[in-house]
Amino acid sequence: MEAKMTMKKRYLYEALSGYAFALPFIASISIFLIGPLIYAFIISFKEFFLNPEASRWVGFTNYTKLFSDPTVKRALLNTTLYSLGVVPTQLIIALILALIVNSDIKGKTFFRVAYYIPTVTSTVAVSVIFLYLFKADGLVNALLAKFGIQGPTWFNDVRFALPSIMMMAIWSSVGNYMVIFLAGLQDIPSELYEAAEVDGANKFQRFFKITLPMLRPIVFFNLVMSLIGTFQVFDQAYVVSQGTGGPLDATMTVVLNIYRTGFRDFNMGYASAMAFVLFVIILILTLIQRKLFKEETY
Amino acid sequence: MSKKLLSIFVLTIFVLATVLAGCSSSKNNTSSANETNTQKQETAKPVTIKLGMWSSSPAEKKIVDDQIAKFKEKYPNIDVQIETIVGDYMQKLQTELASNTAPDIFYLDSMPAPQLMSSGVLEPLDDYIKKYNVDVNDFEPALLSAFQWEGKTYGLPKDFNTLALFYNKDMFKAAGINEPPKTWEELRDVAKKLTKDGVKGLVLSADLARFDAFINQNGGSVYQDGKVTLNLPENAQALDFYVGLITKDKVADTPQNMGEGWNGDAFAAKKAAMAIEGGWMIPFLKEKAPDLNYGIAELPAGKQKSTMAFTVAYVMNKNSKHKDEAFKLIEFLTGKEGQQFVVDSGLALPSRKSMQEGFKEKYPERAAFVDGASYAVPWQFGLYGTKVVDAANKACEALIMKQISSAQQALDNAQKEVGQ
Repeated sequence: MEAKMTMKKRYLYEALSGYAFALPFIASISIFLIGPLIYAFIISFKEFFLNPEASRWVGFTNYTKLFSDPTVKRALLNTTLYSLGVVPTQLIIALILALIVNSDIKGKTFFRVAYYIPTVTSTVAVSVIFLYLFKADGLVNALLAKFGIQGPTWFNDVRFALPSIMMMAIWSSVGNYMVIFLAGLQDIPSELYEAAEVDGANKFQRFFKITLPMLRPIVFFNLVMSLIGTFQVFDQAYVVSQGTGGPLDATMTVVLNIYRTGFRDFNMGYASAMAFVLFVIILILTLIQRKLFKEETY
Repeated sequence: MSKKLLSIFVLTIFVLATVLAGCSSSKNNTSSANETNTQKQETAKPVTIKLGMWSSSPAEKKIVDDQIAKFKEKYPNIDVQIETIVGDYMQKLQTELASNTAPDIFYLDSMPAPQLMSSGVLEPLDDYIKKYNVDVNDFEPALLSAFQWEGKTYGLPKDFNTLALFYNKDMFKAAGINEPPKTWEELRDVAKKLTKDGVKGLVLSADLARFDAFINQNGGSVYQDGKVTLNLPENAQALDFYVGLITKDKVADTPQNMGEGWNGDAFAAKKAAMAIEGGWMIPFLKEKAPDLNYGIAELPAGKQKSTMAFTVAYVMNKNSKHKDEAFKLIEFLTGKEGQQFVVDSGLALPSRKSMQEGFKEKYPERAAFVDGASYAVPWQFGLYGTKVVDAANKACEALIMKQISSAQQALDNAQKEVGQ
């Protein structure tokens, strides 16, 4: 009887101390994440300009307005193009780089660091450097001129502004995905390769029959992260266009548009509605990917 | 990286949420009793007024510091705390206003002023103006009107800047031109003569903040009687001339096409002989191109003279706890004593008409800025001003990039985009 009580007490004590240790995390999550999320959802149904006391309910107006807003459409189109361009290129390059630095080449530590460095550089710093490189009379155009090619004014040209940002994004974040691929590659048991070699499989067969299938969860993870990342592109577009999304909306992305609506036009209600639509889009895309990958694997 | 932004966004919203919660709980009897108690204690003690500002340069900060030092001599019981907002001023201010932590008085640019005035976060100053007998008629009317909304005055302009024509005297001399251009035709002719050896006569940006002056010179307007009037034929004519200097006459170009960041860079780098900018060019050129021999003239006139006035006012937070003291500070900063510091620094123009002669005497070579004040149009286009600017800039960009050929068509599209 007494022993049972102490057991119960100890269980309670353990549970309580567990919660106590988790409390800071739970508290910060609810204060800084869940609370604001709920509040943002609420104000997405409000006309909310600067003054919380003067805000009023407008129902679904903010959401219906989205469908007729040309800037919203343009931002969505740009972001989609950006994702379609960046995600596959980025992942393929990252995988190739990972395969290279995973092999027994000389100075592989150097290459690993070299490819990873852009990832830890601030995107703003990267953008500023690219602005200098791609100026009308910048280094890139000077180089092109050597071959007799008259370079465009990259970031100020409607045709080249978005591709320029895509290039920049690929260059600066490919190292991140490379590292994750690398971790995945090193997780593949070497016995598999040895066995395959004994069976006479060549390099390509080993890659497609062993490496790629074993990497499937990593590929899925990178795909999801890359897609979410591209849909949230902001810094590069902001710096390059000086916050305007120009020239002629060529670099207007969804998040940049949200930022401008919220913090420049003070229209927090509308901006929140946009943010929630973006959330839903990303959620749907992620679910689709999950489904595709699941069906193929199992 | 953009997750950072999202989290800022979310954080902001949370701050708003807590404030709302705070507001409702303060209606509780006991806590409001406590509040009045502390308030009484505070008025017995010296009062602290918070002043929110941005600082474009150490020189600007120095003006305010000097003004405050003088103010404290006069009002020893009022302490002033300066809060310099670095980074995006309106973004920070917006969160502070919503979370009730904004300064008692703060800088406000004319462009976002309508949104703040209409949303009820600012204190109307009319009663205080009457109570303290402030002579508001001395302010340049165009500047004061930028801070009036539905018959009430919400801010007193602290200073302003107008646009003028900066011209490279050496290049003028070399081309045999004795005088800066006075009309549109002269501007085009002079620019033609100056365009040679990789130098353009004029640098022009695709920015309403510059070509709106041309629109007004042609008798057009972008915003009139509460309505957006972007596609008036007069406006199209003006834009046609402005863009034509780049595309047809080829005597001007944008700073971007010259490989520069803004008009000032192009002018300083001697890639253009003329530039349309404001008083901020003077300290910039002093630093970037100290040997540049330049002059400043009034903008060339179209059907009439016109220029833009960019102005900033001191406004009062509606939730300030010490409104009388806050107003005393605003009155001092925008009054003659405070404005003397503006005159002495030469950074911007004093907003009081009575102080402008003194400025001209002190800086005769900058007279063009003051002369423009009487016919300047303030930089403000109502509640949806930022959208108007976006749409107009895009129209101009599209014309320069030859995505569209008719200025009227471009402005019609812009008008549609603004949706009025």
